[in-house]
Amino acid sequence: MRSPIQIVDAATKELVEAELFDEVTVEHFLETQTEWRPVVVEAAKRMLESGASRDVLPRHFHWDWTSKGADLRILAFSFFGISAKGRLQGLMKLESAARSGRIVSQKGKPLIYVDYLETAPWNIKPLMKALGRGPEFSAVGTRLIEGAVRKSLDEGFKGRLALHSLSTSERFYLDVCGMTAVGRDPAKQNLLWCEFTPEQAETFLNEGAA
Amino acid sequence: MNSKKTMTLNLTDQEMRVLEDLSNQKDLSKTAILRQALRLYQLVDVKLAEGGKLFFEDQKKEKAELMVL
Repeated sequence: MRSPIQIVDAATKELVEAELFDEVTVEHFLETQTEWRPVVVEAAKRMLESGASRDVLPRHFHWDWTSKGADLRILAFSFFGISAKGRLQGLMKLESAARSGRIVSQKGKPLIYVDYLETAPWNIKPLMKALGRGPEFSAVGTRLIEGAVRKSLDEGFKGRLALHSLSTSERFYLDVCGMTAVGRDPAKQNLLWCEFTPEQAETFLNEGAA
Repeated sequence: MNSKKTMTLNLTDQEMRVLEDLSNQKDLSKTAILRQALRLYQLVDVKLAEGGKLFFEDQKKEKAELMVL
């Protein structure tokens, strides 16, 4: 699957043509290690040197997508990427089995679980600020979440979706996407479980991120 | 999304009843239930082949290993 989408040039606010795809390969994982990770680590180092609070440091500096190569052949997992201007701009891993809703009205009903979602470091404002420049594109995370909601609809899950949010991303999922904060999960580093009901997912798709 | 192929599936009355019950409980179509079952089966099979073990924990926190053939 390859779908044309649009992301936003962060400097000019103009729409930029991009592509959402699910034919993710090991080469994409390698690209995150060679192109993304050094930038994330350098930005985190600069933030520490400038005395930034540990609360705002990137929590994903150690992520290694190449360790997920074996998951590419498992039906329960699916991967989506966004490319634009010849570069990978975002990557996401979804689980479509063995996860169900935690909102009372959705208990026991299957949903799509966003296991990992990462946007390229040059699209993350605090990281680029630490490196003395502005972000390149915005709306990459939003387009990936839209892809995840469409996957939920395609699987017959009616848009149900959930994830454990890193502390630095909670505002995005709750305030921008409109997900419900269900509670902190002691089994997952006390991260916040955020969930879309079918109604919330429909609103998100129809009205877009806030 | 990937193109889909059609197959005919013959189920006993009991199997169909279970499928219908699960369909109602999970708010999923019967096709979606069977696709979920396939995903879970493959996931468990791969994890076991890699040396993993599958356990169920009861309310008393006692664990029972599940054998999957």
